[in-house]
Amino acid sequence: MDLINQNLLTILILLPVIGAVLTLAHQMFWKQESQLKWVTLGFTVLNFLVSLVLFSKSAAAGASGYFFEQNVPWIKAINTNYHVGVDGLSFWLVILTTFIMPIAVISTWHAVEKRATAFYVFLLLLESAMIGVFVSLDLLVFYLFFEASLVPMFFLIGIWGGENRIYAAVKFFIFTALGSLLMLVAIISLYYIHADATGVGTFDLVTLLNTMKLGQLSFTGPLANAGTLLFMAFALAFAIKVPLFPFHTWLPDAHTEAPTAGSVILAAVLLKMGTYGLMRFNFALFPDQSREWAWLFITLAIIGIIYGALVAMVQPDVKRLVAYSSVAHMGFVILGMFSFTESGMQGALFTMLSHGVTTGALFLLVGFIYERRHTRAITEFGGLANVMPTYATLFVITTMASIGLPFLNGFVGEFMIMIGMFGSHALSVTSSVNWNYVATMFAGTGVIFAAVYLLWMVQRVFFGKVTNDKNRSLADLTMREIGLMVPLLALMVYMGVFPKPFLKRSEMAIRSIQERVMGQAGGLIDHAGAPPAKEAPKAEH
Amino acid sequence: MNTLFLTDLLAPSVNVTVILPELIVAVAGIIVMLYDSFFPKQRMVSGAISLIGLAASGVLLATMWGGYEQGTSWGGMIAHDNLRLGFSFVFLFVSAMTILISTVWVEREDVPAGEYHALLMFATFGMMMMSAGNDLVVIFLGLETLSIATYVMAGLRRADLRSNESAMKYFILGSFASAFLLYGMALVYGATGSTGLTQIAEKVANPNFPALLLVGGAMMLIGFGFKIAMAPFHVWTPDVYEGAPTPITGFMAAGPKAAAFASFIRIFVLGFPLIAGVQASALLHQSWTSALAVLAMLTMIIGNVAAVMQSNVKRMLAYSSIAHAGYALVGFIGAGSAKTPQAREEAIAAVAFYMLTYAVTNLGAFAIVTLLAQKNDRRTEFEDYNGIGFRSPVLAFSLSLFMLSLLGLPLTAGFMGKILVFRPALEAGSTLLTIMVVVAVVNTAISAYYYLRLIVVMFFRERTTEWVEPKMPIGLAAALAIAVLGVFYFGIFSESVIQKFSHLPSANVIKAEK
Repeated sequence: MDLINQNLLTILILLPVIGAVLTLAHQMFWKQESQLKWVTLGFTVLNFLVSLVLFSKSAAAGASGYFFEQNVPWIKAINTNYHVGVDGLSFWLVILTTFIMPIAVISTWHAVEKRATAFYVFLLLLESAMIGVFVSLDLLVFYLFFEASLVPMFFLIGIWGGENRIYAAVKFFIFTALGSLLMLVAIISLYYIHADATGVGTFDLVTLLNTMKLGQLSFTGPLANAGTLLFMAFALAFAIKVPLFPFHTWLPDAHTEAPTAGSVILAAVLLKMGTYGLMRFNFALFPDQSREWAWLFITLAIIGIIYGALVAMVQPDVKRLVAYSSVAHMGFVILGMFSFTESGMQGALFTMLSHGVTTGALFLLVGFIYERRHTRAITEFGGLANVMPTYATLFVITTMASIGLPFLNGFVGEFMIMIGMFGSHALSVTSSVNWNYVATMFAGTGVIFAAVYLLWMVQRVFFGKVTNDKNRSLADLTMREIGLMVPLLALMVYMGVFPKPFLKRSEMAIRSIQERVMGQAGGLIDHAGAPPAKEAPKAEH
Repeated sequence: MNTLFLTDLLAPSVNVTVILPELIVAVAGIIVMLYDSFFPKQRMVSGAISLIGLAASGVLLATMWGGYEQGTSWGGMIAHDNLRLGFSFVFLFVSAMTILISTVWVEREDVPAGEYHALLMFATFGMMMMSAGNDLVVIFLGLETLSIATYVMAGLRRADLRSNESAMKYFILGSFASAFLLYGMALVYGATGSTGLTQIAEKVANPNFPALLLVGGAMMLIGFGFKIAMAPFHVWTPDVYEGAPTPITGFMAAGPKAAAFASFIRIFVLGFPLIAGVQASALLHQSWTSALAVLAMLTMIIGNVAAVMQSNVKRMLAYSSIAHAGYALVGFIGAGSAKTPQAREEAIAAVAFYMLTYAVTNLGAFAIVTLLAQKNDRRTEFEDYNGIGFRSPVLAFSLSLFMLSLLGLPLTAGFMGKILVFRPALEAGSTLLTIMVVVAVVNTAISAYYYLRLIVVMFFRERTTEWVEPKMPIGLAAALAIAVLGVFYFGIFSESVIQKFSHLPSANVIKAEK
C-alpha cells in the first residue's frame, strides 16, 4: 500500500501507457482487433479504480501542501525535476479524467471500425498526457504533458473525424501550439529571473512560489513589466485552450469533426487544462498582474458568454450548437475565477466539473443519434420523442442540467459564480465605483440565452410530429447506451443536490489561491488612486 | 609562441595521439580507396571498413573525454576541448548513419561504392579537422577537404541531370563562398599578424586593433553563412539538396552544416570574445552578435515560410534545414553573449547537442525518404506519400515521429535541443535576443504546418494508387532503429549526454581573456 501511495500519480500516468503498449502487442501477436476495446476498457477502468485511492486519507500532505507528492530529478543540467502532486484544485480534475475515459471507450464500442488498434492506443496515450497535465508541479514537465496531449488528439480528429477533419485537426494543433510555445519562452525566462534573484534557476512551481513568499522575487517594481509579459504569455496559452473569445475559433471545428469519444474528452477534460492552468500558474505566480488585468478577462468572458450563446442559437448542426455552448460555459468559468472571491472561484471549479459531465453527456447523446442517422442537422429531425422516448428523456434531463436548472449540477456552479462576481472587487475602479453589478447582469443574460438555444433545439428535434420518414423506424437506446448515460445522469443529480463534498475537497486550495491573489500588498486593483483594502470580503455561503 | 625558434622547426611540438581520431578516419579512407582499386565492386567490405574506422575513432574520442588536459597542441593549431569532442562525435555519428542509409543502393542502383565510401571518410576527416582546428589555416584546410569531397558526392549519380546540376551549383557557389572566407581570414591575419585563434583573441584585447579586423570578420561571416545555409546566403540549398542523391542530402544537412557551425563558433565566440573594459572589443563583439541575431531571425522566417509552400518532400526538408540553422544560431548568439565562461561553455555544448538531435532526427527522416523514393529518387512528392500510414505503419509512424521531433514536441530529441539553444539567448537578457527567441517560437508554430502536412498526407488521406511497400535493406533498418531510439533517448534521458558535452570548461582560448 505504501508503494502505491508513494507512486500513485506515476502509476496513474504510466498505466495508460502500459495499456497502449499491451494493446499494440495484443494486435501484433493475436490480430484480434475486436478484443482490443476490452483491453482498453480494462485499463481505463483500472486507472479509474486506482485513482480512487486519491480519496484515501492515509497519505498526508507534504510540506508544500500537495498530496501524493513525488520529486525525482530528471535533467540535472537544466535543473528540471519530475515533480508531481495533487491538491484540492487538481484532485477532482484527475478523477474527472479517469472517470470520463471508460465512458469514452464504451461510447465507441461499435463506432470505430477502421484502424481500431491505433484508435485505442491514441486514446490511452491521451489519458496519460491529461493526467500528467493536472499533476505536474514542474513547469517544464507541465509544458511537456500540455504539448504531448496535442498529438493523440490531432490523430483522433484527423483519422476518425468527419468530412472536414484535416482542416479541423491542423487548426486545432497550430492554434494550441502557438500559444503554448510562447508559454515555453515565459517558462525559460522565469528560470533565469529566479536565477537572478537567488542564484539558482528553477522550473519548480513550489520553489518559485516559496521564493516569492520569502520576498526574494516579486513581479512588482523593476520586474513589473517583465511580469506583465510573462503573465500574458501564460495567459495566451491557456486562453486559447479554454477557449476564451476571440481565440475560440478552433473549438467548433474541432468538436464538430472529432469522433464522439474525441468530442467527449475534448469538452470534458482538454478545455479544463486552460482554466486549470490559469488558476494554478497565472494566479499563483503573477497575483498582481492577475488583479491588474482582471477587467480584460472578465470582459472577454462576458463577450464569450453572450456571443457563444447567440451563435449557438443559429447553428443548424446539433454538435456545433453544443460546441458553442461550451464557449459560453467556459466564459462563466473564467468570470468566476477572475472575480477573486472564494465563492466565485469555487463556483468556477465546480462549473468545470459539471460542464465536463454535462457537455460530455450531450456529446454522447449527439453521437448516439449520429450513429443511427449519420446526420446531425436539426432540420432532419423532429418529433423524435415519439420514436425514441428513452433517448428524449435522457436528452432533456441533460439539457436541463446544462441550462442550469436547480437541483441539477449546472445550477450550483453558475449560481456561485454569480454570487462571487456580485461581491467581487475585481472591477472596482475607485473605492466607490465598481462595475461588478454590470458584469453580473450581463453574465445573467447568458443563462437566459442558454435556456433559449437549448430549449429551442430540444423543441425542434424532439417535439411535435415526426416530420421526416427516415426517423420513423429509429431504434431507441440500447442497454449499452443507457448504461453509459446512467452514471453521468446520477452525477448530475448528485452534484446538484449535494455539492458540499465536492466543494469541501477544493476549499483549502481555492482559498489559498484566493488569498494569494488578494492578500498581496496593494490588496485590490492597482489602478491609480485606488485605496488599498486589507482583506478581501469573503463571499457568504 | 609568436616568435618562431629554430628548435621549433627542428622538433615541432608533435603530439600524434591528440589527433589520432582524425588520423584513423583518414587512414580508413585511404584503405577503402586502395582496397577498391584492387577488388572493385565490393560494397559490403568497403562499407564495413569505413564503419570500423568510424567506430574506432569514436572509441578513441570517448576515452579522450576527460582523460586529457584541456588545451592546445601542435603549436596551438589543434584545440582539445569540449567543442571539438562534442562536434566530432556528431560527425562520426552522421557518417556512420549515412553509410547505413546508403545500403539501399545495393538493391537498386550502381553507385561506385568504393569511391563513395572513401569520399565520405575524407569528408569526415575534414569535418573533424574543422572542429579541432584552433588556427585559421587548419580550419580552412579542413573545410576544403570536406567541401571537395561533398561536391563530388553530390554528383555521384553521373547519369542523372539533377545530380549533375546539384554538384555544379554546389561547386561554383561553394568555391565562391570559400573565397570570401579565405579573403576574410587573410584580412584578419593582416590585422592581427597571426592565424592562431589564441593570438587573435589576445589581439582583440588590445584596445588599438585595426579596423581591418571588422572587415575580415564580416567576410568570414559571409563565408560561414553560406556553409550553414544562413539567409540571405541560403539560396543554393534547395536545389542542391533536391538534386543530390537522398542519403547524401541527409549527410549534407546534418554533417557539413554542423562542421561549419563548429568552426564558426570557435572563430567568433572564442576568437572574438567580449573583453571587459576594452571598448574596441565591445564594438567588434556588438557588431557580430547583432548582425547574426538579425540574420538568424531572417533565416528562420525565410526557411519556414518557404518550406510551407513546397510540394516536394526533399525540398521541404531542405528549407526546414535552413530554418534549423536559424534555431541553432540562436544558441550560437547566446554563447557569444554569455556573461560567464561557464555559461558560454554550456551554450556551446547546447549548440553541439542541438546539431546532434537534428542529425538523429533528420537522418532518420532521410532514411525513410530514401527508401520510399525508389530508384533514382523518383517518388519524393507529397502526393507519393498519400495514405501510406496504415499500409506501412512502421515507416509512417517513424516518419511522423521524426517530423514531430523536428517540430520540437516534448519527449523527442528536438524538444530538448530547442530548449537548450533557447536558454542561453534568454539568459543573456538583452531585448534583441529575447525578440529573437520569440521569433523562433512563432516560427516553430509556423513549421507545425508543413511538418504536420506529411503526417496529414500519410494518415488522413486515402491512397488512390497502388502501394507496394519497398523492401528494407538491413543496414537501413538499423539506421532507422538507431534514429527512433535516439529521438526518444535524447528526448527523455538526455541528462548524461548534456553533462558529457558541457563537462569541462575549455581553458585554451579562455585564458586569453584574463
